[in-house]
Amino acid sequence: MSVSVDRAKGAGAKIIRYRGVVKRYGDFQALAGVDLDVHAGEVVCLIGPSGSGKSTLLRCTNGLESIEGGDIEFEGALLPKDERALRAVRTRMGMVFQSFELFPHLTAHENVAEGPRTVLRVKLAEADRRAAAMLAKVGLAEKAPNYPSALSGGQQQRVAIARALAMEPDVMLFDEPTSALDPETIGEVLNVMKALADEGMTMVVVTHEMTFARRVGDWVAVFDAGRIVEQGPPRQIFDAPTTERTRDFLGHLGWTG
Amino acid sequence: MDFDFAVIADHWRFLASGVGVSLALAALSGVTSIAAGFVVALARLYGPRWLRPIVVLYIDSMRAIPVLVVLVWAFFALPIVAGITMAPLFAALLGLTVHLAAYAAEIFRAGIESVRPGQTRASLALGMSQGEILRRIVLPQAVVRMLPAFGSLLSVTIKDTAIASVIAVPEFMRQSETVQGQTFQPIEVYTFAILVYFLMLFPVTRGVEIFYRRVAHLGRS
Amino acid sequence: MTFDWSVVWQHRGELLAATGTTILLTVATMAIAVPCGIVVAALRLYAWAPVRVTATAYVELFRNLPLILVVFWAFYVLPILSGVGLSPLATGLAALALNVTAYNAETFRAGLNSIRRGQVEAAMALGMSRTQALRRVVVPQALRRVLPVLASTWVSLFKDTSLVSVIAVTELAYVAMQIRAQSFRVLEMLTAMAAIYWLLGYPQAKLVDWIQRRYAVTE
Repeated sequence: MSVSVDRAKGAGAKIIRYRGVVKRYGDFQALAGVDLDVHAGEVVCLIGPSGSGKSTLLRCTNGLESIEGGDIEFEGALLPKDERALRAVRTRMGMVFQSFELFPHLTAHENVAEGPRTVLRVKLAEADRRAAAMLAKVGLAEKAPNYPSALSGGQQQRVAIARALAMEPDVMLFDEPTSALDPETIGEVLNVMKALADEGMTMVVVTHEMTFARRVGDWVAVFDAGRIVEQGPPRQIFDAPTTERTRDFLGHLGWTG
Repeated sequence: MDFDFAVIADHWRFLASGVGVSLALAALSGVTSIAAGFVVALARLYGPRWLRPIVVLYIDSMRAIPVLVVLVWAFFALPIVAGITMAPLFAALLGLTVHLAAYAAEIFRAGIESVRPGQTRASLALGMSQGEILRRIVLPQAVVRMLPAFGSLLSVTIKDTAIASVIAVPEFMRQSETVQGQTFQPIEVYTFAILVYFLMLFPVTRGVEIFYRRVAHLGRS
Repeated sequence: MTFDWSVVWQHRGELLAATGTTILLTVATMAIAVPCGIVVAALRLYAWAPVRVTATAYVELFRNLPLILVVFWAFYVLPILSGVGLSPLATGLAALALNVTAYNAETFRAGLNSIRRGQVEAAMALGMSRTQALRRVVVPQALRRVLPVLASTWVSLFKDTSLVSVIAVTELAYVAMQIRAQSFRVLEMLTAMAAIYWLLGYPQAKLVDWIQRRYAVTE
C-alpha cells in the first residue's frame, strides 16, 4: 500500500488540477468537462472503456494536445500556451507511452541520458551518472550498451521509465504502460511502478490492470464518454461502486475483486 | 527582352506530329518492354539453373549502361554488326525495349516474390498446380503491388523517348530542336516543350498514385 | 568489313580524361543535390504555406520533365535569362543539380515522414523543441531509410551524365562519339563507350544492391 493521503482533509499540495476540461476532435467530443485533482505523492489511476478520454486527458496534461475549454493547473499555475514555457513544464513531467517509443538509433544508456543532455543541458559526466543510476533503479544496469531492438518489450518499457525519471520530474504520467506487453513481462514493469509509488512519486496512470489500481492506487477515476462518472479510493470503486456505469464496466471485465 | 510565342502557333502542326511520335514510341516500347520483361522475369524465377546468371548479367548491365548509349549503339553500331539498315524509330524502339525490359523484369520479380509464401503453401494444400497458383493467386496480388513501380516505369519511358532525339527520331524533343534552330527562339520553344512534357507526365504519376490508393487493399495478404 | 580496335587504345588518354569528367560531374552534382534536397524537403514539410507550395511546385516540375530537355533549356535559356554565360560543363552541372535535387527532396520528404509520430511525441514529452526533436531523433533515423534510395539515385545520376553530351560537355559519351566521328571507327568506339560505362556502372549497381540489403528497414 502506498503512502495514504487524507483527501478528505485536503492535506497534500495539489500537483495537478483539472477543472471542466473540454477537448474535441472535429465532431467527436473526447473530453466533456473533466474535474480531477492529483495530490503530491498520490497514485491516481484512470480506468474505463477504450475511447472514454483517459489517454486524451493525459496527453493534454503535458500539452501534447491542446484543450478547447476548462483549465489545467500544474503546481499552482495554468499550463502555458507559449511553446517555450510549455517545454519547461514538460521537463517537470515524465511521460511513459504504451508503445515505449525508445529512440532506436540510441543504446539504452544513450536513450536515458538524452533528455538531461539535450534538454537540461547538463554536463556529459552528470548525464551519464544519471543514466547509469536510473537504469540500475529499474534493474537494467547490464543492458545499458544494448539497442532497443535487442531488448524485450518489458525491458524497453523499463528503459522508457528510466528515461523519464532521468529528468527528475515532479510527476510521472503513464499512458497504458503495459497494454502492449506480453503477459510474462507485465509484472516486471508493474513492479517498477509500484516501487516508484512506494518512494512517494506522484503518478497518474491510465491502465487496464485493475489489480494494480486496486493495490497501488490511492485514487481511482472511472471514465466514460469523456466524463468521469465516479472517482474515489480503490476500496470504493472496486468493492462498493456507487454508479451503474462503474458496475457495468467492472462487470464486463469480469472483475470479481 | 520580348517573347514571341507566335512561333509556336506557326509550327504547331510540326510540333504536334512530334508529340504523336513521342506518345506512340512510349506506348509501343511500354508494351514490348513489359512483355519482354515478363518473359525475362519468369526465366529468372522459374527457368533452368544455367539461364539465371545470364539473365542477371543482362539485367544488371542495363542498370549500368545509360539509355543514350544503348540507343546510339542500336542505331549506329548494330547495323554494322548485323548487316542490316534500320530506321531511327525502329532502332529507338529496339533500344528502349532492351533497356526497359530489364527494369520491368525486376519489377515483376519483386512483385511476385513479395506475395507471402503462405499463399503458395495454402494453394498447394488445396491441390493447385504451380501454373494455376501463379495465374490465379500470386499474379493477381502481385499485379496490384507492382502498379506504382510500373507507373513510375511508364513515366521513365516517356522521358526516355526524348533521348531518341539524339538518333534523329522525329519525336517532340527533336521537332522542338529543329524549330528552335530555324527560328532562333529557344526560350519560347523550350518553355513550350517544358509545358507539354509536364502535361504528358504529371497525369501519369498522379493517376497511378490515385489508382493505387483505390486498389491497394486487393494486394495485401 | 575490318575492325580496328586499336583506335580505342590510341585514344586512351582522352577517354580516361573524359571518364574523369563523368565521375566529377556525378560527384559534384550529388555534393550539391544532397544538401539542397534536404533543404527543399524541410521547406516542403515545415515552412509556411507560400514557401511550401513553391517547394512542392519545384519538385513536381523537375520530376516530370525529361532531363535532356532541362539540359537544352539550361544551355539556351539560362544565359539569356540570367545574363551570365556559363561553360557547357557548368551548365550541365546546373541542369543535373536542378534535376537531382528535386528527386532527393522527394526522397528526404518520404524518409522524414516515415518516422512514427510517437517518436516525435516522446522527444517532446522530454521537453525537446521541434528542432531538437528533428535533429536528435527524426533525422538520424530517416538517414538510414534514405540511404538505399540515395544510392540508387547516385547510379541513375552516373548514367544521366551522358545526357550533357548534347551540349558538348567533354564527358565520356561526347568524347567517345567525337572520336568515332573523326576516326570512322563506329562499332569500335561505340562498343568501347558502352564497355567503359559498364565497367564503372556494374560495380555501382552491385554496391546499391548490397546497401539495400544491409539497410533494409524491419519494423
